[in-house]
Amino acid sequence: MIAANAQGLQGTVGLHEFCVLANEQVARDTFRLEISSLVAKRIQPGQFMNFAVPGDPTHILRIPLSFSHADAPDSHVTMYYVTVGEGTKRLSSMRTGDISTVVGPCGKGWRLPEDLSGRCLLVSGGIGLAPIAAAAGMLSDAGIAYDVIAGFQTAARIPERLISEMEPLLADDAKIHLATDDGSYGFAGFTTRLMEQLIAEHSYGCVLTCGPEVMMHGIAAICAREGIACQASMERMMGCGFGACGACNIPLVAGGYASCCMDGPVFDAKEVAW
Amino acid sequence: MVSGVNMAVNLGGIKMRNPINTASGTFGFGWQLEGFYDVSMLGAITTKGTSAVPWEGNPAPRLCEVTSGIMNTIGLANPGVAGIVEKFGAYLAGLEDRGCRVIMQAAGHSIEEYRDAVRLIEELAPFASGVELNISCPNIARGGRLVGGTPEDASEVVRAVRPLVSRPLLVKMAPVRVPEIAKACEDAGADALSLINTINAMSIDIHTRRSRLSKPTGGLSGPAIHPIAVRMVWEAARAVSIPINGIGGIATGADAAEMILAGATAVTIGTQNLPDPTAGPRILAELEQWAVEQNVSDINELVGAFEC
Ligand SMILES: Cc1cc2nc3c(=O)[nH]c(=O)nc-3n(C[C@H](O)[C@H](O)[C@H](O)COP(=O)(O)OP(=O)(O)OC[C@H]3O[C@@H](n4cnc5c(N)ncnc54)[C@H](O)[C@@H]3O)c2cc1C
Ligand SMILES: Cc1cc2nc3c(=O)[nH]c(=O)nc-3n(C[C@H](O)[C@H](O)[C@H](O)COP(=O)(O)O)c2cc1C
Ligand code: FES
Repeated sequence: MIAANAQGLQGTVGLHEFCVLANEQVARDTFRLEISSLVAKRIQPGQFMNFAVPGDPTHILRIPLSFSHADAPDSHVTMYYVTVGEGTKRLSSMRTGDISTVVGPCGKGWRLPEDLSGRCLLVSGGIGLAPIAAAAGMLSDAGIAYDVIAGFQTAARIPERLISEMEPLLADDAKIHLATDDGSYGFAGFTTRLMEQLIAEHSYGCVLTCGPEVMMHGIAAICAREGIACQASMERMMGCGFGACGACNIPLVAGGYASCCMDGPVFDAKEVAW
Repeated sequence: MVSGVNMAVNLGGIKMRNPINTASGTFGFGWQLEGFYDVSMLGAITTKGTSAVPWEGNPAPRLCEVTSGIMNTIGLANPGVAGIVEKFGAYLAGLEDRGCRVIMQAAGHSIEEYRDAVRLIEELAPFASGVELNISCPNIARGGRLVGGTPEDASEVVRAVRPLVSRPLLVKMAPVRVPEIAKACEDAGADALSLINTINAMSIDIHTRRSRLSKPTGGLSGPAIHPIAVRMVWEAARAVSIPINGIGGIATGADAAEMILAGATAVTIGTQNLPDPTAGPRILAELEQWAVEQNVSDINELVGAFEC
């Protein structure tokens, strides 16, 4: 499409058809969606897509979702999502063979750490594990070792399927540490507490995190204290996902706002005014 | 013009290749949509409201979804006229060269701020075919009441700005006292009227008892407001003789056709662009198809052709 122009402004987000290959429940309120779509050829770890879910013309907005795995040659993309409201419930009723559209790839994703020799720590809260899985894939491809902390409210919400998809990529000495807020599985307590334990034992050059904002704020504070680089994948209510509406503002330490859908969703945690 | 129907319209001196325009604040600065289609096929685009100096806008959350619409409290966040021209000026000038009219929207919190914004647009954005004055902003000096919320106030701001603008001047009206304010704007020198802006509305999260936006109220837009907008366009068209730019909940060619029948010369797509970024070309094709079905050779024959 005509996109290049004098100022190098590039409309890089497109509209793509998708076909549902699988959409199945994998944990309490948690689904795994696999689609076939040409967006797979361009999407990078940490970027997201905006899904049109048919069936209710009174809800006009799309649903933004990150992905856990994209297979460019096969044009497959895998998402994990939690049914929190009307739109995600509607999404959970889509069946194999159903067709709709995604807008994407949206935003800027994870960046490889500057120090490629250091070890990384990936920290997720809830379904934030989906984009963290994509980050894990990116680090594995680059030959960078990492450990994972994945926190959940309770054991019933742990998507074992996603964890089993991540395990084969781990380095020999690496581990996925599971935590639950209610202590029903793994480490009992918040991911920040588990992170304090891990950083006391190992040295990490970089932390990548995605989860509830309060959790990421806590992770970012620990990283700031320890001088560890930290990237955080932020969430905002989105109108468009491609910079047209100005809805998705993230406050910056430097003053003013950045756009979550264009400058993010992945931000350098020390630039965010938490 | 595949169909043979003339789709070109003249919006108060802005010569558009077709009646499709995009609403301020819902289309970025145009380039964001180029990945979806060739934006120059549209009749015009309208920029986000731009002020003399950058405005940060409101805290999050700035947007929520309601039945058949959305509510926003973006707060006219923009990088200022100079910032916009520096970042996007070459793109916008190129869009004009490609045949799509660029309308720069001016915003302010006082008459002086509007005059400053318009002066800068005149100086820095000579490429734009038109200037749209958004008189739905709060007037800080007057306790935050709308800059153009009464015929007297609207007249005052349009008169103050008119001599500074060498190009066609559109006035973007709030959905209040439409016939009187429309007349006041025409008398004050507006070349065309754009309406409607969002309708002030409220949405409360009953669990937290808080507003679903960062402010108690926000502007409602989308299909929910379309019938109100059609009525207001019709009222404005009857009150004035300058052209009307019809805005409000246009999601299909049929919605656009309704606006034209009610008296709109141009039709402007807003909220629909957000979930449906190819809405512009689709609505244009549907509108042209409707003109063919109506058996006219010129879309202008259908402007105000509503019969009671
Ligand atoms: C960049 C990004 C990536 C995301 N990735 C994932 C993911 O991989 N898996 C996952 O389960 N969820 C993800 N989300 C969250 C997901 O988009 C929301 O849970 C979903 O939109 C809720 O829609 P709903 O109609 O079911 O709920 P609603 O009943 O509409 O709302 C429930 C909650 O979701 C939030 N929400 C609603 N609509 C939007 C929207 N358009 N944009 C952002 N937040 C919204 C509301 O503020 C509210 O807190 C992501 C969000 C963003 C912004
Ligand atoms: C996210 C958003 C931002 C907007 N920003 C502006 C603005 O800067 N200036 C303005 O005059 N109107 C603004 N509007 C109002 C639209 O231009 C339009 O008048 C209104 O939304 C009604 O049309 P619609 O229902 O097609 O969206 C905005 C609307 C939305 C949804
Ligand atoms: S969601 Fe519209 S600008 Fe980011």
